[in-house]
Amino acid sequence: MIVSSCSSDDDATVTSDAVSSASDTVDDTTTPDPTTPDPTTPDPTTPDTTTPDTAPAETTAAPADTQPTETASDGGTLVVAISEDPGQYNPALTTSGSVHTASELMYNGLVSYDEDFAPQPDLALSWDVEEDGALYRFHLRDDVVWHDGTRFTSADVKYTFENVLTEFHSRTTASVGSVLVSIDTPDETTAEFRFSEPYAPLLQQLDVTEAPILPAHIFEGSDPQENPANLEPIGTGPFMFSSRTPDEELVLVKNPDYFKEGLPILDEVVMRVIPDEGSQVLALESGEVDWLWGVPGPDLERLSSDGNYGTLNTLVNPGGANCIMTIGFNLDRPALQDVRVRRAVAHGLDRQAFLDRVEFGQGNVATAPISSGIPTAYSSDLDLPGFDVDEAARLLDEAGWVRDGDGIRTAQGVDGVEDGTALTIGVHLFPNFAPYGELMKAMLLEVGVEVEVNALERATMVEEVFTERNFDTTVISYCNGTDPEIGIRRMYVSSNIAPIPFSNAAGYVNPEVDALFDEARQTVDPEARKAIYRTLQEILVEELPYLWLVETTSTRIFTSECSGFRAFGHFAEAASCQRE
Amino acid sequence: MTRWRKGSRGSWVGIALTALVAIPAVFASAVAPYNPFAIAGPPLAPPSGTHLMGTDALGRDLFSSVVHGARTSLMVGVGVTVPAACIGLIVGMTAGYVGGWVDGALMRVTEFIQIIPRFFLAIVVLAIFGDGYRNLVFVLAISSWPVIGRAIRSQVLVIRELPYVEAARMLGARTPRVLRREVLPSMWPTLSVMSALLVADVILIEASLSFLGLGDPNRASWGRLASDAQQYLRSAWWLALFPGCAIVVAVMGVNLIVDRSSVSATGDREMMRSQAAPSS
Amino acid sequence: MNRGYVVRRLWQTLPMLFGVVVIGFLLVHMAPGDPVLALAGENGDAAYYAAMRERYGLDRSLVDQLGTYLSRLARGDLGSSAIQKQPVSSVIFSRLPNTLLLAGSALVLSSVIGVVAGVWAGANQDGPRDRLISSITLLLYAVPGFWLGQLAILWFGLRWGWFPVQGRTDARSDATGLAHLLDVAHHLALPMLVLASQQIAVVGRLTRAGLIVELAEPHIDAGRARGVPERRILFRHALPASLLPVMTVIGNRVGHLVSGAVVVEIVFGWPGIGRLLVTSTTDRDIPVLLGLFLLIGFAVLIANLITDVAYHRLDPRIRVGQRS
Repeated sequence: MIVSSCSSDDDATVTSDAVSSASDTVDDTTTPDPTTPDPTTPDPTTPDTTTPDTAPAETTAAPADTQPTETASDGGTLVVAISEDPGQYNPALTTSGSVHTASELMYNGLVSYDEDFAPQPDLALSWDVEEDGALYRFHLRDDVVWHDGTRFTSADVKYTFENVLTEFHSRTTASVGSVLVSIDTPDETTAEFRFSEPYAPLLQQLDVTEAPILPAHIFEGSDPQENPANLEPIGTGPFMFSSRTPDEELVLVKNPDYFKEGLPILDEVVMRVIPDEGSQVLALESGEVDWLWGVPGPDLERLSSDGNYGTLNTLVNPGGANCIMTIGFNLDRPALQDVRVRRAVAHGLDRQAFLDRVEFGQGNVATAPISSGIPTAYSSDLDLPGFDVDEAARLLDEAGWVRDGDGIRTAQGVDGVEDGTALTIGVHLFPNFAPYGELMKAMLLEVGVEVEVNALERATMVEEVFTERNFDTTVISYCNGTDPEIGIRRMYVSSNIAPIPFSNAAGYVNPEVDALFDEARQTVDPEARKAIYRTLQEILVEELPYLWLVETTSTRIFTSECSGFRAFGHFAEAASCQRE
Repeated sequence: MTRWRKGSRGSWVGIALTALVAIPAVFASAVAPYNPFAIAGPPLAPPSGTHLMGTDALGRDLFSSVVHGARTSLMVGVGVTVPAACIGLIVGMTAGYVGGWVDGALMRVTEFIQIIPRFFLAIVVLAIFGDGYRNLVFVLAISSWPVIGRAIRSQVLVIRELPYVEAARMLGARTPRVLRREVLPSMWPTLSVMSALLVADVILIEASLSFLGLGDPNRASWGRLASDAQQYLRSAWWLALFPGCAIVVAVMGVNLIVDRSSVSATGDREMMRSQAAPSS
Repeated sequence: MNRGYVVRRLWQTLPMLFGVVVIGFLLVHMAPGDPVLALAGENGDAAYYAAMRERYGLDRSLVDQLGTYLSRLARGDLGSSAIQKQPVSSVIFSRLPNTLLLAGSALVLSSVIGVVAGVWAGANQDGPRDRLISSITLLLYAVPGFWLGQLAILWFGLRWGWFPVQGRTDARSDATGLAHLLDVAHHLALPMLVLASQQIAVVGRLTRAGLIVELAEPHIDAGRARGVPERRILFRHALPASLLPVMTVIGNRVGHLVSGAVVVEIVFGWPGIGRLLVTSTTDRDIPVLLGLFLLIGFAVLIANLITDVAYHRLDPRIRVGQRS
């Protein structure tokens, strides 16, 4: 039985804002920049699995092995709360968190990831990487059948990548799609991916989230967007579509022919739509649902000390891993062009307070531009400006923002700013991150900076920040992914200042930084590569185009009647429920 | 027509309740011990001598927030009600007094605006155009005046037939003058009752919108406080209790004043009819 | 009753609905925020978005798009939801019955309880019963819906376990027939009560006020003087006259019920159109949003029409066809 008690203070809670809903919490995931990615390490199959002490990866309950432990044949029904009915269930068409949350159990990728994000066999049994990473050969399982009984073959892989993933799945389109030349299928169990140049991150982009495989015999010849199988999916996954009641529930049943021996154990998984997260918790407590993807902070401590619930703490949100809550400064704004002002903001903010009061201790204070969850690039001993109100005040005075008593500072001889202008900084964010803005407002008030919180719905926010660039600062959860190429590069390189969601929000231009990112991409040796990222991070900490606040983790919670969960991917593949 | 009945206990309770929230609203800065946006203490501290209503998750003083929230709620209420009352008064008096095609046209417009429920419209507008207070006030004012306009019009229909109005007309007074001198004074009771109810409704609507995540985080408002508190219902009861009670007290206060006075309205069904309609 | 009147009124609703659609269309299209993001995900590149925009006709002019929309609408085609990959009509109508059930039962419940409470209070003006009922109804009116909903869940759902706290059915049961109906009724109880509470307050207060006014009429005094029993005066003379305006109000509150249903559906996880409105707004699912505008407008207009017709039929003092 996997019941954990959240005993330490550190793994206490997640705020509602960080995890709440499948779709709303993921603010972004990994977007490579639009320029063509280049080779990185030639053998990306062996990520460093050692986790530094600071990494937030601890799981309070060990995930089940793929082998079932003691289990009765009757696995029972698992009721899962989801925040939104996505309306369609084809995860290859979109990166939407709500679609993936509801549908991933029905599909598989070529690989899956273990808790350290290392690729494991899934539809592919093994793979060879040749030509420095320009050719990948996958050896597929020959014992996999689709839910309708048709056999899975390499033609499915070819069709899915060529006609769906590189057309509609925005992340895979932008990354794999830009360098993929062809997929050859010499026989039914072999698929060869040929790239125009060495492409390192591929194996990090092949799981059911990034590249779910669709049945070619169902989709071929149709418009993938209009195919009826989007509503009644046919996949290879551990669970099969059974029925759907819009906005109410999605019922999945056990796939008796699943290719993993003895799995799944559960007879049925019911995805129950409960939009309000407070109501989700109440439903868990009344026993109406068994599993929540996240819990509002104040409830988690109460629930996890209760003994009737197990928890899983993970770096993965339903759309990205290693997310850092990040303030982006719009460097087009005269007031924010002065690094002293940015530094003053950094000194004025107590990052620990964001972790304690907004995330309820769920996560770590960020200490570098790169997440500690990427040990191959993270530097642990950087000198990020600490909480120091006096230093903040001194820097602002120096920058020409003078204060009269306890009031708001006004400009006096600031370049590009009319004298007497009040130092008011707007912050654009999604409504679920509003507490970040409110805490910024509270803390910067102390140093004489007025903060105006602009909570905007997703579409509006993205347009204002990335298309119109009509903002001062923004708080975004930038998910770093598992390699700096995937989720970090896009924030800093000047070529990625574009009307693209979650690109270089700061508008940061530094040729040296651009060059270093390119160099790192082409550097094979892990030590040398890490050293380049070290230099990069030192520059970024010095120039502060962004301020990295908190590395968030999220907590799954489930009734202790059920066990055997994983935190992400096929979370219920090996789960079972025992009820009295 | 409405007469104020004196000595009714209910209306005195209503006045007392309304004063309870109106006075702190007016003197918010003097009454509140802290800046409502500043960190004033430890997070989630229960009510105590230093923090009368406790603190929220960020450590801000709840009492100060509630006091400033009174100001926000009343400002929004008044901000919506004043333009709505003005437009409603003008449209209602014109339609009722002038009659004919003018009446027909104006009534079609009011009906048209009432088709889409206010709350519905507010959700769409705030979600799409941003949840600032200007948008809130604008969309609620635009969608609220027809209720007042209809009530005023039906009052005018009665009053224009009264002898003293007819007399004024026969003496050759021009329409605007008759409206201003003879009709307008009789409108105040209806207008004030309708306006007060509108303020109460706006407070409730603002609360519900905040619950949907459409409140302005730059203002302390009761609705936002009460809806933010939903996730702390069991871990920090004070967060939901005090702002919630403030809403209840304000809405009850206004309704108690109005309730008693409208009882003494003699047989004016249209008045009652429109009185119930503001929320739709 | 004049059938011509009803037909004429029905015709009048058409331009109104047309106006609602046009204004709704302009409103959602003038909005900042790019619907293509919701459609296509947020990690694409510029070319990808351009292709998606073209695919959904978002690159054409507003007038052009409006024309297309209206001409399709004229043929009864509400378009299709690009996010849900389904026709708008099936998106809406799969949820509509749930909202009708919730709002309809709340309407009936609140009317019955409201009138009973109002009569009880009004017949004992300023008595202790009146005080009690008036205070309770006023309190119910003044409590925000989401607050009442969460409290109801805490007490009736969690503490006492009388009712389930979310959804329309039990996720673990495959009940059919009567058992299914009972399951739905069990789930309906709490959201219905919460949604009805505010209406109860309004109906109760109006009934009470109307009754008091009616009881003060001279002919009631005359009846009393002639020795007509008090019950008969109350139920035969005063109540029918005072219920007319109440009925009108009930009809006029259909829009309000739908509004209230938004919050209640979210608190209780009830799969209705109120929730659909919120999600389609945040997702910028424009075809669904416009379909909802049309549906709500239609419902409100029809409710007003029914109310007016009933009112005219029941009240002999009003001539048919007179504009109210």
